[in-house]
Amino acid sequence: MPSQSVEVSATAGISAVPDAIHSRLLDELWRESCAATYGLEHVQFREILERVGTAQNFGLAPEATASRQQQVNYFRGLRFADLVLARACANGHQGAWEHFLSVYRQPLTRAAIAIAGSETLGRELADQLYAELYGLTTRDGVRRSPLDSYRGKGSLMGWLRTTLAQRHVDHHRRTRRELPLDNPADGNEPQAAAPEPQKPASELLHLSKAIEEALHQLAAEERFLLAAYYFDGRTLLEIAPLLRVHEATVSRKLHRVTGELKKRIVRNLQAQGLSKAAAQEALGADPRDLDLNLKKILQFSLPDAFTEKAVPIRGMQ
Amino acid sequence: MNTTSQLDLHPDADSLNAFAEQALAVPEREQILAHLAGCSRCRQVIFLAQQAAAEAPATQPTKQPATRFWSWRLAWVPATALAAALALVVTLHPWRTPQMPELAKAVPLNESAAPTPAPKEQAVAGAAHKPVQALAAKSLAENDEFAARRRTPEELVQQSAPSAAPPAEPGASASSAGKGQAFLPSSIESAPQQETTAQFQPEPVVAAWQQERQQATGAYSASADASQVSHKSMRAEAYTSHASRQAATAGPRMVQQSQSIPASSFEIITQQQLAESVASRKANLPRLPSGLAAVSWATVRHLTLEIDLAGTLFLSDDSGEHWEPVARQWTGHAVEVRAKTGLSGNTAPAGVFELKNDAGSTWASADGKTWSAQ
Repeated sequence: MPSQSVEVSATAGISAVPDAIHSRLLDELWRESCAATYGLEHVQFREILERVGTAQNFGLAPEATASRQQQVNYFRGLRFADLVLARACANGHQGAWEHFLSVYRQPLTRAAIAIAGSETLGRELADQLYAELYGLTTRDGVRRSPLDSYRGKGSLMGWLRTTLAQRHVDHHRRTRRELPLDNPADGNEPQAAAPEPQKPASELLHLSKAIEEALHQLAAEERFLLAAYYFDGRTLLEIAPLLRVHEATVSRKLHRVTGELKKRIVRNLQAQGLSKAAAQEALGADPRDLDLNLKKILQFSLPDAFTEKAVPIRGMQ
Repeated sequence: MNTTSQLDLHPDADSLNAFAEQALAVPEREQILAHLAGCSRCRQVIFLAQQAAAEAPATQPTKQPATRFWSWRLAWVPATALAAALALVVTLHPWRTPQMPELAKAVPLNESAAPTPAPKEQAVAGAAHKPVQALAAKSLAENDEFAARRRTPEELVQQSAPSAAPPAEPGASASSAGKGQAFLPSSIESAPQQETTAQFQPEPVVAAWQQERQQATGAYSASADASQVSHKSMRAEAYTSHASRQAATAGPRMVQQSQSIPASSFEIITQQQLAESVASRKANLPRLPSGLAAVSWATVRHLTLEIDLAGTLFLSDDSGEHWEPVARQWTGHAVEVRAKTGLSGNTAPAGVFELKNDAGSTWASADGKTWSAQ
C-alpha cells in the first residue's frame, strides 16, 4: 500500500524516497522534464530524485521527517528541466552539451565578465569553469563535473553565476590575500598602535559584554543586514532583493535594528549594575578601545549545516 | 545556539543561488542568512552573482530602446525622401498631368528596385497597381538579368565595369558609401552641395544616368556638375526615385531609366547614346501611338524601340518623331527591350536588339522589325 510505504519511509528517516511517490511522480516529472531527450532512463531519473531529495531532506530541517505531501511539494518546487540538463551534461550527453552551450555560453561569459570586472579575466574565468563543467577534472579516474552538484533549487543560470562568483572570490583571496572585511581574528593585518583607553578597563569590559549580548539577541536577518551594510558597505539597493523587500524597507529596518541594538546595550549595561546615565555615557567610548571580534559575534551558524568545504585561504589559516 | 565558527564551511552554490532567487524554504533560508551574517566570502559571492544577474537584463532593455530609436531615426530617411519627392511632384504636376493614369500603372514595375519602403509609402502607391505589379514582379523574378536591374545604383556602378570602381581618393569611397544614408536628406535637397564631398570621378555611364535621373525628377540644378556627383548622391537618387515611384506622381521615364542601366555582362551604353535618348524623349512627349506609358526602351543609333504597358513594341527610326508598331513575333507579354552595342557604340552587330517576354524568353533583332528566338 502506498500509505504504508510512506509510513515505512518516514520511520526510516530520509534514506529513501517512498515508492508511492515514485510511481506517480516519477512518470509525471520524467515527462515534464523531457529527460528522455537526453537519454535519461527512468532508473537514472529516480536515482537523481532520491539523491536530490535526501541530500536536502526535502527542504526541511535535518531532524525533521518529510511527509508525503512535503516530498511532493519539494519535488514540485525543483527546476527539473535545468536539473535534467545539468545531469545529462555531467553524464557527457552530446545533445545536452550542445543545448547547454547554445543557451548558456553567452550569458555565462557575460556574467563572468561582469563578475571579474574585466573582459580578459572574465573570459578566462568562464573558460576555466567550462573546463570544469565538461569534466576535465578527474578524481579516482572518474570524470567529475560540478554540474553533478546542481540540485535544481534555483535556476541553472543562477547556479552558474554563483559558481563563477565563488571561483572568482576564492581566486581573488588566494592570489591577492586581500579581504573585503577586516578580519582581526586572523591576526595578519598590521595593527595600528592602540591609543591609551580613555575609559576605565572595567567600564570597557562591561560595554564589550553588553554589545556581545545585544548582538547575540539579533535575528539572523538583522545580523546579515548589519554586516552587509556596515562591514561590506553594500547599498540599500543591493541588499533589498536578498531580503525580498524594497530598499526603503531596508532603510527602515536598518534604522530600527541600530536603535534597538543601542537600547539593548543600555539595558545590558544597566543589568550589569550601571545607572542609566552611566550606561548612556559608556556608549560614547572609542570603539577602538573595545576588545570585540564583531565578525565572530555575528556568526551563529549551526555546525555541519553546509557540506561544501571552502577553498583554504593561504596565509589565513 | 551554537556559536562555533563556520568560516571553513560554506553553503554550496546551489543553496546560495536558491537563497538569492528566493527559492529556499524558511529553515534553509534562516541557515543561509545566519551564515551570511558572519561570512564575508559568501556575502561577496552572493552580491557578485546578484550584480552579474542584474547587469545581464539591464543591458537588454537599454539596448532595445536604442535600437528602436535608431530604427525610427532611419525610418525618417525614406520618409524625408518621400516628402521631397512629393514636393517636386506637386511642382511638376501640371506639366505631367496627361500621363498620370499610365504612370500609376507603370510605377509598381520597378518597386523592388529601391530600398524597402515604409508602409505609408506603400499605401500611397495604391491598390490599382497590383495587377501590373504582380505581372512585372513575376517576370523580373524569373530572370536573373532583370534581377540585376533591381539593384541599387551603387551596385550597378560597381558591376557595370571594373574600371568604375572608385579610385584616387584614399579611404574616401568606403567612408562616403558608409555615411550615405546619414547624409541622405541633405544630399537630396541640394545636389550641388555634394561636390564638397565628392570622392571619385564616376564613369560616363553613371554620369549620364545621374543626369537623366535628375532631369526627369526636375531636381537637377544647372550648376551641378554630374561628373562630380558622389557615390552618396547616387544613393540619395535611388531613394528619391523610389519615393517618387511610390508616390506615383513622377514622369513615366523613371521606370525606364532605372531599367536602362546596363548589366555588366551584357552591355555598355555610352554617355552619348543616353544623352541623345534622353533629349529625344524630353522633346517628344507623349511618344507612343497607343497612348500608354512605355515600360522599356532601347536606342541604337537612329533606331528606337519602346514597349508600352500593353506589351506592344513600337519602332522609331527618327529618334522618336514617328512610331510604328512592330508585328508580334514573340510569345507572351513583352516586358523589356534592350540594346546590345559594341564598347564604342559605333558598331551595330547582328542581334543588336534584345526583347524579353514575361516568361524570360529572349528574342533578337538587328533592325527592330524582324525578331528571332534565342
